[in-house]
Amino acid sequence: MFADESLESVGVESVWRSCQQGALQARSCQTDALHSDDAGVQTRFSASIFTQTEPQEQTTDLLRQHDPAEPDPPGLLDFLRRTEDLIIRELVKNTRSHAFDGFQADWADRSQRVSCLHRLQHPSAQEKDLHVSSVSWSCTGSVIVCAYGRTDDGDWTNEKSCVCLWNLDRQNLNPKQADLVLEVPTAVTSVCCHPNQPALIAGGLYNGEVLVWDTSRTQDPVLVQTGMPAEGHREPVYQVSWVPLQRKAEFGVLSSSSGGRVLLWTVDLDRTRLVLDSGYAFIRQQVPHSGRTSMKVRGSSTVGVTAVALSPWDPDTFLVGSEGGLLLRCSFSSRTPAAVPAEDRGVVLRAPAVFSFRPSSGPVHSIHCSPFHRNLFASAGTDGLVHIHSLLQADPVLSVRVSDSYLFQAQWSPSRPLVFAAATGHGPVQFFDLACRALRPAATIEDGAADRAATCLAFNHQNRRLVAVGKSDGSVGVWQLSSDLVDPGPTETAQLEQIANQVSD
Amino acid sequence: MAEVEETLKRIQSQKGVQGIIVVNSEGIPIKTTLDNSSTVQYAGLIHQLVLKARSTIRDIDPQNDLLFLRVRSKKNEIMIAPDKDYFLIVIQNPSA
Repeated sequence: MFADESLESVGVESVWRSCQQGALQARSCQTDALHSDDAGVQTRFSASIFTQTEPQEQTTDLLRQHDPAEPDPPGLLDFLRRTEDLIIRELVKNTRSHAFDGFQADWADRSQRVSCLHRLQHPSAQEKDLHVSSVSWSCTGSVIVCAYGRTDDGDWTNEKSCVCLWNLDRQNLNPKQADLVLEVPTAVTSVCCHPNQPALIAGGLYNGEVLVWDTSRTQDPVLVQTGMPAEGHREPVYQVSWVPLQRKAEFGVLSSSSGGRVLLWTVDLDRTRLVLDSGYAFIRQQVPHSGRTSMKVRGSSTVGVTAVALSPWDPDTFLVGSEGGLLLRCSFSSRTPAAVPAEDRGVVLRAPAVFSFRPSSGPVHSIHCSPFHRNLFASAGTDGLVHIHSLLQADPVLSVRVSDSYLFQAQWSPSRPLVFAAATGHGPVQFFDLACRALRPAATIEDGAADRAATCLAFNHQNRRLVAVGKSDGSVGVWQLSSDLVDPGPTETAQLEQIANQVSD
Repeated sequence: MAEVEETLKRIQSQKGVQGIIVVNSEGIPIKTTLDNSSTVQYAGLIHQLVLKARSTIRDIDPQNDLLFLRVRSKKNEIMIAPDKDYFLIVIQNPSA
């Protein structure tokens, strides 16, 4: 059956070794000889000169100090006696004269009221079709911060977004490339620069987080953030602003979201978190009704906050606009607890609403208090009108029709008391001057493609002639205004006072 | 001395007056109600302006002489009463 067998071994020649030893060639190279040379130099003579600034002469040397013991120069009394009557007569005549009423000499070129200085774009944001959701100038007036997000989406998105900074005072400004890009995991809905420290920027995100970036840090610009705590926001944060805190001389971040909460956070650098300092919640039943409203609204009872304005005159007042069109005056120091279900919170939420103005028919997108009159503020919403309200009455003092489409933002000019600007959904930004009787826009910023909504605008408080406009195609335009839109006239504050005192019937 | 102050006070109390400066013939301010740096600035600039205005009038007609100078700007009006030894400069905002 089985028998032993032995076979010869089989050998396979190595093919690798033979091909390795295939062709060999030797080559050599050598660098050329290096030429070197020696030379010596010596100074023959030297001279030295010093300069030094002298201490600056006191300008007070020029002005002789009034020394009671020293007699007046001779003739001064006679001179004054001679000229006093003449001068007083002229002064009195001048106050009564109407010779120069309405007279304007124009030194600047009147043809161009607005001119575009820069058009800033961030290519990667434009590829993702992001809109500019918010712009803000730094406190020095030279850096503009643009936040990208979407203004028309109702859905949650997971798209990453960014915040871009351009320094307009740099010589090699590249409009297509930002000086600093901060990456953000979700869409940014609002940014605000710190009023004193140019490196701090507060931002609110679509998922309810609030962050503070410190652009002077190279490693990780996020200085503090809220994370997603239980007491934080759950809905997009539509507005953030820096608020001076009463207790310390610092600033806190006030954030408001469409979940009906307005929260005040303080920066806690030790734990690198934003700590909730106080919170306010809006419940429909706790909102004071102004008597004329007869809205029977069913559905959720939260009042989604879309716009917040701080009053520069009264640190206790703030104004709130809601998704349902409500316009409320609120107080930081209110003590009424809010009627929210009592969860385990560290901070008790309060109901701050004190007074309710006449509501509008659509969401209030923007409120801004006038920097020149303590009672006036402007509000803009989806009805195309800018309402100028006085804090003292429920109905608006004046309503100006700006356009037929939505209005995304309305801001008072920081230098002229009677001028305000409104960003419309069609695209142009209209400037209105309340001094002109005909309520047509005094100037318009139209930028390129029509139907690209202007979503946000910001005046530069340091350089009063600049205004930044963000559009829904992802570009930010920096425009320069002519001097008659910027320089205030002598009687404007009085005219503003007159407008504020009108009582509507 | 007191009468000089009284006179200046009377002028200062007129409506809209923002400041008064008395300058001598060399352009050095002697009396003022403004702060030092503004005074020195106004005195230097206005002194040159008055000399130029006076020479303009006298060049056109040597018998004529400058009586009063008013400079109206967007924000206020500067009135200057010149004399041999002194100038009186008053800054007024007429609509205030």
